[in-house]
Amino acid sequence: MLNIIAEIQGNIASAFGLLGAAIGVGLIGQKAAEAVGRNPAASGKILVQAIIGMALAEGLGILALFLAK
Amino acid sequence: MSRGTKFTTLLAALALPFTAFAEGVAPSAAKLVDFGGGWTITNSMFTGWVISALLVTLVLYLVGKPTILPSKGQAVIESLIEALRDLFEPIVGKKAFPLAFPILVTFFIFILFHNWMGLIPGVGTMGWGTTDAAGHFHITRPLIRPHNSDFNGTIALALISFGAWLIIVFKIAGTKLILWDLFGNKAEKKETPGWLYPILALVFFIVGFIEVFSIVIRPFTLSVRLFGNVFGGENLLHGTGFFFVFYFMELLVGLIQALVFTLLTSVYIGLLCNHGDDHDEHAHDDKSDHAAEAHH
Repeated sequence: MLNIIAEIQGNIASAFGLLGAAIGVGLIGQKAAEAVGRNPAASGKILVQAIIGMALAEGLGILALFLAK
Repeated sequence: MSRGTKFTTLLAALALPFTAFAEGVAPSAAKLVDFGGGWTITNSMFTGWVISALLVTLVLYLVGKPTILPSKGQAVIESLIEALRDLFEPIVGKKAFPLAFPILVTFFIFILFHNWMGLIPGVGTMGWGTTDAAGHFHITRPLIRPHNSDFNGTIALALISFGAWLIIVFKIAGTKLILWDLFGNKAEKKETPGWLYPILALVFFIVGFIEVFSIVIRPFTLSVRLFGNVFGGENLLHGTGFFFVFYFMELLVGLIQALVFTLLTSVYIGLLCNHGDDHDEHAHDDKSDHAAEAHH
């Protein structure tokens, strides 16, 4: 089992960071879509909140991508 | 063949000729003029100047001398500014809005146009380079690069945003409100037990230091987010040979990153400056409710 894990190559630090970022952005999108479904008139305000949340979640992923060795 | 397999083979056939040209772009900007001792003019700096000058002349040409009855160009610019005002006024609050709005509009238009200009043909492909043995030209010093694809460019924007935040927040909110917001005890004195109140005060004080750290880290995350998105998009486009789907994605990413940078700047300002409006509105609502009940 450890032999299999040892064979993994590539930038593992960036991989985990981006995995977290992608899952976070997806969760925000899911909740935003659900909120618009419940209250379609608030779609503009929900869009603003969702974009801010996605930017903060994605920013750390980009940090992991470009700063990990 | 079903329609699904036909479509995927079509996409694969479109992508095949582009796999031969899989080179990326350099992450640091190439120097154009070297003054020695670390002071240079890089290609992204030069492009930033040229595009900014073009933007300023465009806006001046469209608006000219502003009149009460707008000309067509003035109407276009006015509708853009009105849309941005409707977006930012609820976030920043009425008190900070006159001070903060000019820099928010500037950030949005600047970052939007500089992100999009990286998609014009000729950017990153014209310049000085070497020709290898197979006769294929590899470019090592492009002449035109987007301003935001250089980390220095985005650090500059983030530092200006942080400086503007400091000035606006100290002018509108004042030092006392800032210190209370960061370190102050936010528990209600009437509703917490007597023994718990000092413990909560200590907890809020320690949390204040974490808040200060997250505030200090803001210029860094702002700049890395913008740089990563723009440079990563450029790298993707050049590496996959300008595949058309990625081109449309880069248009969308350019718009969203400009919006995100400006929205985050406005949110940071609004977090500290947007308190007073709520209290005033609550007071007005209570007064009007009392007046209505008194009539009945």
